[in-house]
Amino acid sequence: MAAKSKRDQMIDMAVLAPLDWVDERTGAVRGTKWFLFRNVPRDISWMQTLGSAALTAFIVQTVTGAILAMYYKPSSEIDPLTGKPIAYSSIEAITNEITLGWLVRGTHRWGASVFIILLFLHMGRVFLFGAYKYPRELQWITGVLILVMGMLMGFTGYLLPWDQTAYWATVVGINLNGTAPFAGPWLAQFLASGPEIGSDTLPKWYALHMLLIPGALIALIFVHIYLVTRLGVSSPPWSKEAAGRERTAVEPTGARAGLVRGSGGD
Amino acid sequence: MARDLGELNREEYANYKDDVKKEGKGFFPFAMWHDTVMSFVVVCVITALAAVWYFDADGTEPGLLGPWYTEPAEPGTTDFIPRPDWYFYFLFYLLRIFEWPETVFIATVGIPTLLLILLLGLPFYDRRRERRPLHRPVAMVAAVLTILSMAVLTWKGATAKEALGSELVLLVPTWAEEQGFADDPAAVTGAELFAQSGCMNCHVYLGEGNANLGAPDLSEIGRTNDAEYFVRYLTNPAAFGNNVMGSYSYLGQENLEALGAFLEASKGPSEDE
Repeated sequence: MAAKSKRDQMIDMAVLAPLDWVDERTGAVRGTKWFLFRNVPRDISWMQTLGSAALTAFIVQTVTGAILAMYYKPSSEIDPLTGKPIAYSSIEAITNEITLGWLVRGTHRWGASVFIILLFLHMGRVFLFGAYKYPRELQWITGVLILVMGMLMGFTGYLLPWDQTAYWATVVGINLNGTAPFAGPWLAQFLASGPEIGSDTLPKWYALHMLLIPGALIALIFVHIYLVTRLGVSSPPWSKEAAGRERTAVEPTGARAGLVRGSGGD
Repeated sequence: MARDLGELNREEYANYKDDVKKEGKGFFPFAMWHDTVMSFVVVCVITALAAVWYFDADGTEPGLLGPWYTEPAEPGTTDFIPRPDWYFYFLFYLLRIFEWPETVFIATVGIPTLLLILLLGLPFYDRRRERRPLHRPVAMVAAVLTILSMAVLTWKGATAKEALGSELVLLVPTWAEEQGFADDPAAVTGAELFAQSGCMNCHVYLGEGNANLGAPDLSEIGRTNDAEYFVRYLTNPAAFGNNVMGSYSYLGQENLEALGAFLEASKGPSEDE
């Protein structure tokens, strides 16, 4: 083995050795390589970027959401300084006083709509391509669950500013849940934390919005991405060079037809 | 021997793996480049929306994309029109199609549950191997119909008519004349209460109000029952099997009796005039 230059040795020491150490114990480097250095069909198009676009919107939501959580106060008590509910006052402060608070809040607010739109577009693309069929059934199911969770995020997040729009939309939302047979009244009672929306409601919805549902959502997204890496992206079904296209009866690949593949019945 | 579906599926997928390995291109950097560009566009669009929303509005003054916030939540107000975020409009509008409250759970729970089951089960009842859209007519027609109906319901939900109590109260003299209760002071008081207590956030009366929630039209409700019944109903709608409408007992007995008189007097526009 040729002697390495001093520089190479140093790179080895500083970068590769720690990576090897981590990889030996976790498989993280192999995992990353497995994710990045895989092949995708050569005929994939811009339509197949909708999934990662939705992921980007979700990442925007987690980052802006974490920042908002540092300043938002989930309490419907009246703030003696402003004479308004504490939650509402904290939203006012985020929008008007905190540096670039308006941008963080605006991005979170509109990112939610963009996320939902991208989920619908992504689902439409998968449906059009028939990409939910074998072997990607569970891929589809996790996708539908992500959409449901995304809408629940919208439903729970809508209440948090504690303004009239938020309050009354949620009153109607909870009443609608209450119409369900059997579980309905119980569900409405749970969501409102009592017979009516009150001081216990806001912290509960806040916990749902920033702990429980996002936790489930992140877990589902990981499964979804693992599956797409494992199973692969499907080609547009109308493509002449689609991966997995029907094999013609005789397909000479260098060798003379019939010699290798046989000429008898299939 | 005819080969079964599972075998054909597995063979096709093996071919897919083979093709991708031999002819495919690397996810990194080719597909990832596209993803990066697209992600950049997404972030720009979101930021632009936030900027338009912020700079066009001012506090509770709405701009192109709505206000920063509305007034603080006030459970006592009754003239605020409830409105969910846009992606629930279709559900919101669906409610008016069903009878309130007997069958409304079809819209609130039945249809969403059915849609969810159909969506989740899709790969299991659509088991054909065919993926080309033009060779899947049933799937394509179903998809187009779903998208169309969702779009129509969302649009209708977005443009549904709304009215405020302060404007509705101006209609009371017209109602009194049409229904012929102008000489009944209790009924007129009841009509004013009706206009201002948020009843029309859910109910329609002589073509005004919010038909959005599917609550019954009350223009001719006086033909069904008398004032005493209406007072009992308003005090506790749940006792009549209506778990959607809240109790209005906080209005006080006197006001409830006025409302009852108004509802009893509402027998529909008199036809002989």
